[in-house]
Amino acid sequence: MKASAQQAAAPVTDGTVFYPDDFELKNNADEIRIDSNFAAQSFWKEARIRFCRKKSAVFGLAMVLLITLLAIFGPGMNSYTYSGQDLSRKNFAPRVPVLEDIGILDGGENISTTTGSKKLNYYQLKKLDNVYYWFGSDTFGRDIWTRTWSGAQVSLIIAVAAALIDMVIGMSYGLISGYFGGRVDSAMQRFLEVANGIPRLVIVTLLLLVLSPGMLTIIFALMLTEWIGMSRIARAEMLKLKEQEFVLASRTLGAGSFFIIFREVLPNIIGPVITQVMFSIPTAIFTEAFLSFVGLGIPVPQCSLGSLISEGFNSFTTHPYQIVPPIVVMALLMLSFNLVADGLREALDPKLKEM
Amino acid sequence: MKKYALRRILLSLFTLLVILLVLFVLMQLMPGSPFNDEKLNAEQKANLYAKYGLDQPIFVQFFRYVGNMLTGDFGVSYNISKNTPISQLIQTRLPISIAIGGMAVALGTLVGLVLGIIAAIWHDTVADTVATVISVIGVSVPSYVFALALSYSFGFRLRWFPMLFTAKQIFASSVLPSVSLSMFTMASIARFTRSEMLEVLGSDYMLLAESKGISGPALIFRHALRNALIPIITVLAPLIVDLMTGSLVVEKIFSIPGVGSLLVTAIQSNDYNVVISLSFIYSAMYIGIMLAVDILYGIIDPRIRLAKEENA
Repeated sequence: MKASAQQAAAPVTDGTVFYPDDFELKNNADEIRIDSNFAAQSFWKEARIRFCRKKSAVFGLAMVLLITLLAIFGPGMNSYTYSGQDLSRKNFAPRVPVLEDIGILDGGENISTTTGSKKLNYYQLKKLDNVYYWFGSDTFGRDIWTRTWSGAQVSLIIAVAAALIDMVIGMSYGLISGYFGGRVDSAMQRFLEVANGIPRLVIVTLLLLVLSPGMLTIIFALMLTEWIGMSRIARAEMLKLKEQEFVLASRTLGAGSFFIIFREVLPNIIGPVITQVMFSIPTAIFTEAFLSFVGLGIPVPQCSLGSLISEGFNSFTTHPYQIVPPIVVMALLMLSFNLVADGLREALDPKLKEM
Repeated sequence: MKKYALRRILLSLFTLLVILLVLFVLMQLMPGSPFNDEKLNAEQKANLYAKYGLDQPIFVQFFRYVGNMLTGDFGVSYNISKNTPISQLIQTRLPISIAIGGMAVALGTLVGLVLGIIAAIWHDTVADTVATVISVIGVSVPSYVFALALSYSFGFRLRWFPMLFTAKQIFASSVLPSVSLSMFTMASIARFTRSEMLEVLGSDYMLLAESKGISGPALIFRHALRNALIPIITVLAPLIVDLMTGSLVVEKIFSIPGVGSLLVTAIQSNDYNVVISLSFIYSAMYIGIMLAVDILYGIIDPRIRLAKEENA
């Protein structure tokens, strides 16, 4: 501005004329800080606006929040516990107050027999007027509502923990590999290629054969398999950024390699990293469910969405309502996380709009 | 190209060797020995060890193991069907799994292409939205959810197809499993085709083709689709991973006598030998397909070839 102010009054198209006195020097430290603050805010603000403009992403976020809230508070919303069995009340169909009066979810279920199907209501047969199982009860008389939400809790904890650990490992690996380049990069990339050549299914299966099944083992297995995608993204971003001026400036100021990697470059790649984390959560949920289905999941009486589905599968032709809640919750959860991730990808990287 | 292909082949072989090493170490770590019988005295045990080469140094055992695995001698099953050679168990099951996987890929690719082309041509219309919704659901909902839903509705309720696999009606009973396995393939191919087609349709050479008077199907199929299809090979990798994992559960649900359900049974009955052999087979197939994809891609698209040679 100073440079332009020193020039003689320059005419502007609409007739206004500027004189040197019209300009003032604006380079004191306070204002620069405000300026950078504003720039930082506006990126996130714009990203938020772009995100909100996408209906599917907002729907996904709402579903994720709803399911998370239900996973936290759902198990406490009635008096049942996730492991409390009552064999005299097994296989009760769903019954919900109010809704039962209009004829749906009233505790009746159709049982197919050789002579045709008939409607049975165990609540009436056993004269249990004040008993309500909102999602029904399973083959051990446990409340499916409580089990579904505590299962969702376990699945979410596993998925989020695994995704965060993967993020830390994959990001560090990719950033270091990309930053140092040359022989370090080449060695690290060869290792990655070999690790990537082993199917995940095989790694996870073998690991769970050796270690005892449980939440930590599953997180560990997911950690071993899912970091590769993240490290690729981090490396690609690093290769793009490391030649830029701000890195050079930082190095001129005397910053060490690790300062540049984690304090200078890392904050600049947070967009793609968050997107990738969001994409890896549904993968983790699916892998957990798959492991439970195969019998390598969470040990009883604890449950996860996967173990509930695999329990419900055993009786899904006779009592289909038992498998519906966990499967719907899992499908919705995976779908919602994918929608959020899609929305985030577009919101954080405006160049990608047409994808 | 030769240099690149050679490098990829060597790396694949090395990966396979690493996998064999891991499997071998795991076998050593597994509790128990096949000769745990209390009736055997020390001398008899030593004889047995000598007979099976267990008295040799560990690296000799390893190379013997590698040789056995590569020639298809996987040992015998302990629990599932006692003393049956594993290669024999697999021989009858592998073709079924491959047939169902192949059907799923064919179906998924076909439907996915159609959906993707429709979405790209009628971009930003109801057709596009519908295709996008279908593909988002297909990508994010796991195949066994589809398997359960199809098995309940078309198998149990409507009785259009058998719920469980029967050798008498091989085709009819392969329909539901193939459809459920194909959902992911269909969805990812539809997504990919759509975005590639949009890019190609907006390119200069399409404008040229159009200005020369080419229109309709010739424009779409001969000029646009051909170029849009090249990068589709890159989605093959996640597809194969998904098919492998998906087949385990889907085969279990429809009780298909394939390798997937064999692996599940082996895991559940702690038949380590079978688990490890199948892990090897899955890995070998996966590595082989990846190698083929990479080399094929290098041949088809010279830009990739050059870029990769620079890296190598």
